[in-house]
Amino acid sequence: MSGASSQVILAVDDSASMRQMVRYTLEGAGYEVIQAADGIEALDFAKTRGVDLVLTDVNMPRMDGITLVKELRNLDTYKFTPMLVLTTEAGQETKLRGKQAGATGWIVKPFNPEQLLATIARVL
Amino acid sequence: MHMSSNPLEAAANADTAPLVDWTPEQQIAHMLELCEAQMESAMCESDLAVDSLIKAFSGLAESASSLNAMASKLTPEQRKAFEGVDLKKQMESIERQMSAAIVAFQFYDKLTQRLGHVRYSMSTLAMFVCDRAQTTQKDQWKRLYTTLKRLYRTQEEKEIFQMMVEGASADEARDHIHQSTQTIRIGQAGEIELF
Repeated sequence: MSGASSQVILAVDDSASMRQMVRYTLEGAGYEVIQAADGIEALDFAKTRGVDLVLTDVNMPRMDGITLVKELRNLDTYKFTPMLVLTTEAGQETKLRGKQAGATGWIVKPFNPEQLLATIARVL
Repeated sequence: MHMSSNPLEAAANADTAPLVDWTPEQQIAHMLELCEAQMESAMCESDLAVDSLIKAFSGLAESASSLNAMASKLTPEQRKAFEGVDLKKQMESIERQMSAAIVAFQFYDKLTQRLGHVRYSMSTLAMFVCDRAQTTQKDQWKRLYTTLKRLYRTQEEKEIFQMMVEGASADEARDHIHQSTQTIRIGQAGEIELF
């Protein structure tokens, strides 16, 4: 896919099967995908190498996705980076917390591959 | 407590074994723990099966991608050899099925999460019922409900909880679940909202 080949997406989820599904979808569209199993691991990756977009789950061990978004927004390099939350959380309260933390958008699982790619293309 | 190393022998002895330190609360807690252990065992087994399925899916996806790349390099003469077969249509059909599989796989992830909440609820209830003083206080039950409510993440979990708390019977909740499930299409994805 044109334009996607040089862009790096950090996919964060504690479920290995979810990471696989996300990786398959994004790599198929030409993105480079880095995977992390929780917020701490993701934060380390993000600090050591730049990423163009973060796609994160909410409920994870060690550091949840909303805290991750908040931590990343505190870093100068990630002030304007798109950060999408991909979660089973359907509650308005959690969604609002995500918005306040600085998330760019909220995607409720299960994701549809075409819709996910269209959303990513829109925010990048 | 003595435990037989042979599971079949242990199962046969279960009917006749004396119940040590018997109290109704301990028996309820023990039953709940038993259900939780059974659930964990089934989940471990299915995790392995789903891992294999995902590996197989990834392999198929890679093969489909290679075939797609090869098909795009065919010369018009080579394409003639596939007379009657629209390769592009075939590849599009594979892609659609792959997308449907990706959505369906995610329901397993959701299932694992929801069963995890059920297991946690069972172990919390098992600990709760062991304290007889707690179980006789209405406030303590309310606290327990609030603790369990915080666990729920999905719309479906929240709806069932709300129905039961508002006095619906287990049968009514089950009817509601079956009706809701009929409206779910497996290809159906969740909502997307940009802030």
